[in-house]
Amino acid sequence: MLKRRELAAGVATIALLGSGRRASAEDMTGVMPSSIKVGVLGSLTGVQAVFGQGNLSGAQIAFDEANAAGGIHGRRIEIVSIDDESTPARSIAGFRRLVDDEKVFAVFGPSASSIAQAMEPVLRAASAVPVLGSIYSSPAASEPFKHNVFRTGPLQDRLQGIAIADFVLETLKSTKVALVSQSDEYGRRGGASLTERMKEKGHQLVAAEVFNLTDTDFTAQLLRVRAAEPELLVIYGFPAPAATITRQARQLGLTAKILGSNATANRTYPATVGPAAAGVMNVISLAALPEGDDPRMQAYVQKFSARFPDLARQNRPDLGDCLGYNGAVVFVEGLKRAGAALSREGFIRALESLKDFETGIGLPTTFGPQRREGNLAARVLEFQPDLTRKLTSFMLHSAG
Amino acid sequence: MLGQILVSGITAGAVYALVALGFVVLHRGTRIVHFGLGDQLTLSAYLVVIGQVYLDLPFAAAVALSLLLSAGFGVLVERAIMRPLRASPLLVMVIATLAIGAAIREGLRASMGPLPWPIPFLLTPAPFTLGGLVLVPANLAVVGVAAVVVLALFLALRFTRFGRAIVAVYENPTGAAIVGISVPAVHARLWGLASVLAAIAGIMVAPLITLSPDMGSIGIKGFAAAVLGGFNSLPGAIAGGVLLGVVETAAGVYISSAMKDVVSYALLIGCVLLLPHGLFGRAEARKV
Repeated sequence: MLKRRELAAGVATIALLGSGRRASAEDMTGVMPSSIKVGVLGSLTGVQAVFGQGNLSGAQIAFDEANAAGGIHGRRIEIVSIDDESTPARSIAGFRRLVDDEKVFAVFGPSASSIAQAMEPVLRAASAVPVLGSIYSSPAASEPFKHNVFRTGPLQDRLQGIAIADFVLETLKSTKVALVSQSDEYGRRGGASLTERMKEKGHQLVAAEVFNLTDTDFTAQLLRVRAAEPELLVIYGFPAPAATITRQARQLGLTAKILGSNATANRTYPATVGPAAAGVMNVISLAALPEGDDPRMQAYVQKFSARFPDLARQNRPDLGDCLGYNGAVVFVEGLKRAGAALSREGFIRALESLKDFETGIGLPTTFGPQRREGNLAARVLEFQPDLTRKLTSFMLHSAG
Repeated sequence: MLGQILVSGITAGAVYALVALGFVVLHRGTRIVHFGLGDQLTLSAYLVVIGQVYLDLPFAAAVALSLLLSAGFGVLVERAIMRPLRASPLLVMVIATLAIGAAIREGLRASMGPLPWPIPFLLTPAPFTLGGLVLVPANLAVVGVAAVVVLALFLALRFTRFGRAIVAVYENPTGAAIVGISVPAVHARLWGLASVLAAIAGIMVAPLITLSPDMGSIGIKGFAAAVLGGFNSLPGAIAGGVLLGVVETAAGVYISSAMKDVVSYALLIGCVLLLPHGLFGRAEARKV
């Protein structure tokens, strides 16, 4: 039988826990009677802007749409945008500014894998602040599980490495595989996962080479790859170096099939590579291609072109813009589901209720009480001889 | 394998050599190391794209426009930024050139987007095989154009009034001024000339190394090649570029791709320590 003092202590503990939970449930930071303040954090300048600009453009279009439709339960979304200049230190400072000074409700971003990785301790410490990433693919921010950190869009790199290895071995039936990966968080993580998975399945890579994001000549890597006589070459890197690698590989007489990771799925890729792009496959995490005729994608392309005519002249919307918009629509859906009595915890619970939520732009998003990775699949596209892109019927699924 | 390494290394090296020439041409006359030169390569290549896509110009006209605007840009930089700073400490001028580079890079990113742009090759990128070596006409064009540019530059410096004025300023600015050469005007010409060299390099290499706002990072390789060559020697810049290209490729193949840059920069540091005037540089006597 419990003593009275123990009983009292137990009741007090439960009360405290309960009040703590209620306190976080009622955390309405950034929620005003007629507006919701949302921080948008991404790389708008510097080498990582290749995807970061899409984080902002996507948020602007999706949030403008919600505002034009009368807001979310009567509240307009107000954006506070911060450019992290592609540097982790500025990203961390920007996040702190959004949370501590601007007192935003939630943060949409960051956009780059190497930035997200560096921000992991900050995101962990800010456990009350919902953070939704729409473009970066590093698992470093969301693994191990964090209650407040959600990720949607591309299949994350650990799982993507596994999915690519399975696709290569089981569908393409290639066992002599070479890897050329970027030396930063993005390429390192995906490359390591692919290597590990191949090993698990009893296969060693015949060559594994690395390159820096700003490298311009890849002859050395490709001569080593060529000497290993692979059936298939996986390029895990960003668009500009990956395009050069693809072209140089063919110039050096490498006949292996080439498969690029998700970051190489930009629209100008085949034209940048030239005729050597024909037959190359790239992983992509979109439901349809922006240059295609899918009605929902076309509706978005028109919205984008109307909102950003200057950017439309740059062959956009491209991958980053599409993923940014996809994530922002998921964000808006979470706000809608959270109801009129909006709180941070309510928003997190609302996001957890998303099951196969389709935007028509990215692949469906599913979250849950113990799931923060919104998308566990990817598609494969193939460049045609006329250098157009075609989505194949292949679907990669994470087995991680 | 060795033959292919040499071919590929010389191709990469020709690009570095062209960039290195720009550094040396400018530095010999003005004593300024222009750290934004790599980004000027990018700007010139983008000017071709702008001419083609936005002004509907044919490729040759777009290239001509780019060369002209690049020369003008170089002169403008000298007049508007470097001339007012000529009495400033070296560090201020270095920061100014870095700022010029950053402004070009981020300006291009904002106006032309962060993603790569397709740009035509001067010759086909489809390879052919000769004696077991894979040769690419587009790459050979870079080597050929680099050779022609170097030859033209040497002839211009030796046989034209424009070039002789530059050489006079190279050798002795005070003496040149005494005999009536306008040193500031020569400086402006040097900025224009270095910018045209950068433009040629940029337009040649953009389709090979993929045109994006960050293409200018190749400038650091050109700088390393110039240092290897002695920084004041035009033949040295060429030799430095080719040496760097070959060493880099050989290190990547025979050691590891992760160590490629480590070996290249170790060579650079070794050269600075053991041969402070580079492979072709001369020690300069300074009267005190």
